[in-house]
Amino acid sequence: MTATTAQLFSDTPLSARARLLESLKGPIGSIGVTLAATIIIGLVWTGPGFLSPSNIQIVGVSVAIPLIVAVMASFALLAGVVDLSIGSMVGFGAVIFNQLVSAGLDPWLVAGITIIVGAVVGLVNAVVIVHFGAEPLAVTLGMLTLLRGLCQVIVVNAPPTTLVEPLYDLTQGAVLGFPTLLLIGIGLTFIAAGFVSKTRGGRKVQAVGGDPRAAARAGISVSRVRIAALVASGVGAAVGGILYVGQLGSASNVLGTGLEFQIYAALMIGGYSITRGGVGNPLGGLFGLLVVAGITNILNINFFDPDYLDLIVAAILIAAVLVDRLRGGDSFE
Amino acid sequence: MNTSLLSSTEPTTPSGRQSKPAGRSDARAGTAVRDALTIAGVWVLLIAVTTLVRPDFLSSQTLLAVTFTASISGILAVAQSLVVISGGLLDLSLPVSLILSAWTTVMVLSAGGPTFAAVGVGIITGAAWGALNGLIVVFGKLNPIIVTLATGFGGLALMLLLFQSAQIPAGSELRQFGLGRFLGLPNIFWPMIVVVLLAGLALAYTRWGRRLIAVGGNAQAAKARGISLRKARLGTFIGAGAVAGLAGVMFTAVNPSFTPNAGAGFQLIVIAAVILAGVSLSGGKGNLLVLLLSVGFLATIPTSIAFFGLAPAWAMVFQGALLIFAVGIDGFRLKRSAR
Repeated sequence: MTATTAQLFSDTPLSARARLLESLKGPIGSIGVTLAATIIIGLVWTGPGFLSPSNIQIVGVSVAIPLIVAVMASFALLAGVVDLSIGSMVGFGAVIFNQLVSAGLDPWLVAGITIIVGAVVGLVNAVVIVHFGAEPLAVTLGMLTLLRGLCQVIVVNAPPTTLVEPLYDLTQGAVLGFPTLLLIGIGLTFIAAGFVSKTRGGRKVQAVGGDPRAAARAGISVSRVRIAALVASGVGAAVGGILYVGQLGSASNVLGTGLEFQIYAALMIGGYSITRGGVGNPLGGLFGLLVVAGITNILNINFFDPDYLDLIVAAILIAAVLVDRLRGGDSFE
Repeated sequence: MNTSLLSSTEPTTPSGRQSKPAGRSDARAGTAVRDALTIAGVWVLLIAVTTLVRPDFLSSQTLLAVTFTASISGILAVAQSLVVISGGLLDLSLPVSLILSAWTTVMVLSAGGPTFAAVGVGIITGAAWGALNGLIVVFGKLNPIIVTLATGFGGLALMLLLFQSAQIPAGSELRQFGLGRFLGLPNIFWPMIVVVLLAGLALAYTRWGRRLIAVGGNAQAAKARGISLRKARLGTFIGAGAVAGLAGVMFTAVNPSFTPNAGAGFQLIVIAAVILAGVSLSGGKGNLLVLLLSVGFLATIPTSIAFFGLAPAWAMVFQGALLIFAVGIDGFRLKRSAR
């Protein structure tokens, strides 16, 4: 009885202003502020054209595939394991898909094979990490190199070009002026956000990432959750690879190099952590990616060397981790 | 404490951040020997199989190629080991230390500076880069993996803005040194051996080394004993950076021209060598002589692959698979000893 009253009490609605201040202090709040700052800088520096439909289209197209890969990879972060191999898996998925389709196989069949390969790669990562208790970062760094090596073994000369009509339409099409793929990515983000915050399964993932021992004591299978999360990450990267072939019409052996940095930087700016699980929300990841894409866009419009991007992202990343630490995240001594 | 010359051991102290079960310390003395024998065994097996397929594998050419590859990876692996043993997890920005130092060395040589100044500037550049990482880690109290992931990518971008490609003056003494041989092996091989020995001795016998190991074994216990964690961490990153700086100097000596990206290929082989050598990612433990073996083994793989007639990219595949395998074993050992 008392517990219920206490709960009722703590749920008393705060005034709108207090609630706004409260949410600004949270991860989504600070990333929202960063995004707003990016948009304002964009508007001041490049003029009103920054928010023109055509520019939004450009940003949207560039952010769509990384968003899909990031949302799937975010489950692994949430479960307390990081999958660095996604960049190479995107490349490897693209290379397999591109090579097999150009060899004359049915695109749907090949897409299925590519996704299975992604799942198998995720499973291998998962088995070594979960069953042998290996450091996720080191395992997936090995996988990153292994897959990149395979890409270079398979694609030696100029890669073949492929055109898969439905895939091209999907990756280049637009609905009501918005890129179709971006809408799919945003839809996926909302589904993932709903899953994480509203369902039992999502809470299990959070529990496993937050405190694996407590989760195990509560009867949650830590290994099963982490295996599922790593498989999801591999599958997401494979799908990303397929979509890149649709967008680019081909797959070179360096496709996806460094993508893991931009994705994890965006996710960490958005409130995730690669060293501790249980924190972060897919919506934060979306904002983080939009910040990175917005900065890229500002640099592009102003004819800056794209190398400034990684420099700025690195600085924002360290700032974001610092803010997270000051907010009560884990500190390293 | 282990009395072996080059091995470093963690002080066994109860509780704390990375406390380890007491039973492990008894098995410790044997672990390094077992690691060494295992790596040596696999190495011999690799050589034997390659020789069976291609009898001409056993030649002075192969020896040159392997020692050449092992030289720079070996120095970098020492730098990485220092970070890992100190409990600093991993330094993912070592490729930047390497190439940035190589670049400043070339700049001094191109400006007509004397060789010793160029070498000094290269080493100082590495130390300065290490200091930057260390300062962010220590004062931000941030996880070194995240910090060096960021500075690694940021640093690469910075270098791409600074230069497109760098050339060492062909007539310089450093270049001549890189071309030369001593006792039948490439000149740059010997500084690597010296670095391994000096770092091993420093770990075992200097205050700096003792503190580094103590902090890596159990940070809280070390702190309670009055060791400043800040100073120890900063000292580790600066020391490791200086070693990586020396690797950069050696790199210029053997690479007449290079791009900012040239360091990327070292990232994995160095981490793989460190983990394969049993330098545990949880810190406080590592043996630099075993590291020398694992560097030699990993450096043999590319040459073996060339003799098998496979594309060079297969070396990446095998090294990646090896790293996965090695961390799997490292994790399995920790898990088993925790029982």
